[in-house]
Amino acid sequence: MSRARDAALTSRDWLPKASAGLVLGLALAVAISGLFAWFGPGGLYDGAGKTQVNMWLISPVWCGVLSLCFLFRNGRAAWIWLGAATLLAFALLYGGRWLITSGGL
Amino acid sequence: MRTDIVRMYKDIHSWVGIVCGLALFIAFYAGALTMFEQPIQRWASAPSELTAPVPLDEVPALITATRAAHPETARGYRIHVETGPENPARLSWDVGGDREHGPDAVYGTALDATGALETVRLNVSPVGELIDVLHQQVGLPFAHEISMPIMGAVSLLYAIALVSGVIIIIPGLVKDMFALRPGRNLKRMWLDVHNALGIFSLPFHIVMALSAVVFAFHDQFYEAQDVVVYQGEIEAQWSQGRVAPEPFDPQARPLPPAGIVARLAAQAPGFTVTTLEYRAGPDGRLAGRVIGYDPRWGMRGPTYGLAGFDAYTGEIIDAAYLPGHQSGWEALVTGFFALHFGNYGGEPVRWGYFVFGLAGAFLFYSGNLLWIETRRKRLTKRHGEQPQSRSAHILGALTVGVALGSIAGISTTLVAAKWMAGHVDNLALAHRWIYYSVFLAAIGWAFRRGAGPGGADLLWLCALTTLLIPVTSLIGLLPVVDAVWCWSGPVLLLDGVALAGAAVFALLARRTRQRALHGPRDSIWSAHVRTAGAAAARQPDTGGGAPAAD
Repeated sequence: MSRARDAALTSRDWLPKASAGLVLGLALAVAISGLFAWFGPGGLYDGAGKTQVNMWLISPVWCGVLSLCFLFRNGRAAWIWLGAATLLAFALLYGGRWLITSGGL
Repeated sequence: MRTDIVRMYKDIHSWVGIVCGLALFIAFYAGALTMFEQPIQRWASAPSELTAPVPLDEVPALITATRAAHPETARGYRIHVETGPENPARLSWDVGGDREHGPDAVYGTALDATGALETVRLNVSPVGELIDVLHQQVGLPFAHEISMPIMGAVSLLYAIALVSGVIIIIPGLVKDMFALRPGRNLKRMWLDVHNALGIFSLPFHIVMALSAVVFAFHDQFYEAQDVVVYQGEIEAQWSQGRVAPEPFDPQARPLPPAGIVARLAAQAPGFTVTTLEYRAGPDGRLAGRVIGYDPRWGMRGPTYGLAGFDAYTGEIIDAAYLPGHQSGWEALVTGFFALHFGNYGGEPVRWGYFVFGLAGAFLFYSGNLLWIETRRKRLTKRHGEQPQSRSAHILGALTVGVALGSIAGISTTLVAAKWMAGHVDNLALAHRWIYYSVFLAAIGWAFRRGAGPGGADLLWLCALTTLLIPVTSLIGLLPVVDAVWCWSGPVLLLDGVALAGAAVFALLARRTRQRALHGPRDSIWSAHVRTAGAAAARQPDTGGGAPAAD
């Protein structure tokens, strides 16, 4: 890892990075939209307008991740970091949801 | 900014631009025109043989007569409060078809001087809708279900192109932003224009890229959220706040349309009603929906907002999409739509979006040409003047053919609207055939003649076909050809814009021809390129390297 740190970024390994941005970027975006839907302002039931806003939120997050995923050192790093972020976001979503629905809160 | 990052994003910007640039050109050129879809609709719609619409107060008599002659209208009909050439009947209804693809036919009725009912099949020109579909589907002729995911992929690439484009010009931003270096280095000037257009219209492009991704994938987004966010209960989201309707009295009489309009005006002042839509439920209860506009607010539809009303009292019962009466979240979503459609702020914003749309099309066109020129200059620096690679020729011809072909195709199919009406049964199909024939022929011509000479030819074609738009209207004014018409009023502006466009295309055609004859001979723009191209074809392809990496 530390050897790769000093290497200059190139566009050569674009495919593994871009595929991570495409697949995990979408998964991360859906998870973040879920966090916003459940725990964002207004909560889960704040009218059908909020339901639409939740959906719109996916687009900027996905586009952002897809555009910036090339800044990872290499494809492996992109998959690992984005994968970890996605898992974390889903863990927060499902964990928080469980706390609410099971009456833990 | 680290130079390796800038260099990496330069490569990404180039390749992403090459892949999605031409599709985006069509989307933006057609999109700029859709800002004036309603005037285009009027321009292209033939005069109707219907008697002039009855006043709004006399609509009940029209409804009764229509119901007697066409019992199917009991299921649903529209009352057009605003009528015009593109909308000649006071009352209309749909026959056949489905929600996705629209009705098979639309009929309209009127009362003649004796009070007798007239019924016609409305032949509102479908050409405006064709341009809109070209815009939505980035010019693809496939079915909606196939075209939209492709459009979505293009939009994702477009987002990458925007971010990468910003990253690569940040280092030179302050220095170069206002620089326009005309003169001998033509490529430098094109780059300056490309950068300036990109930076100054960046917010516009961010809006378009993010909203286009939503338009392409909203169904899939909702499905994914249904599973992982709403636990399969997304229906409960949509039915929020929906109250069970009160019991229906079958003896109740709907309020006449004039009364509805008056009631709506009192509840939503400033909202201009264009259409009232009625649909009967299984128990015979009429549900009302009003369509209209209010330039003080952004609107959910491209040119309209809407609201649900009680057909028996005229009371607004669903204001979720009524401009200026929305809750916070609804207003926010409508804001996203309005930013894409440019329907806030009336005419100045509409014209602004038109200009930004055309500028966007030019941005993608110039991007492709810069790719080619950058490669030529880099190769010349390394290996001396040499013939262009085959890939540069292909890309050059494709750029010129697709871009100018779509322009000429749209102009041609527009002109055809005024000549086909009354002679052709399926106008929508004819318009599609005309557009795609011109479009494909233009691409073929660009490949046959090369980018330079072919580009000049096609620019002349664009100039000619676009000039035919006002010429056809002029013919409609003169008593020469009975079937051709010309509406008066603001719609004449369309002819004026077409005339200006034709002049611009002619000017560009002259310049392109001069460059082909006198410009650098190793450029793909040279008319002397065909022998060089043949030489290049014999050499192994030198392409494949990343552009602009110098």
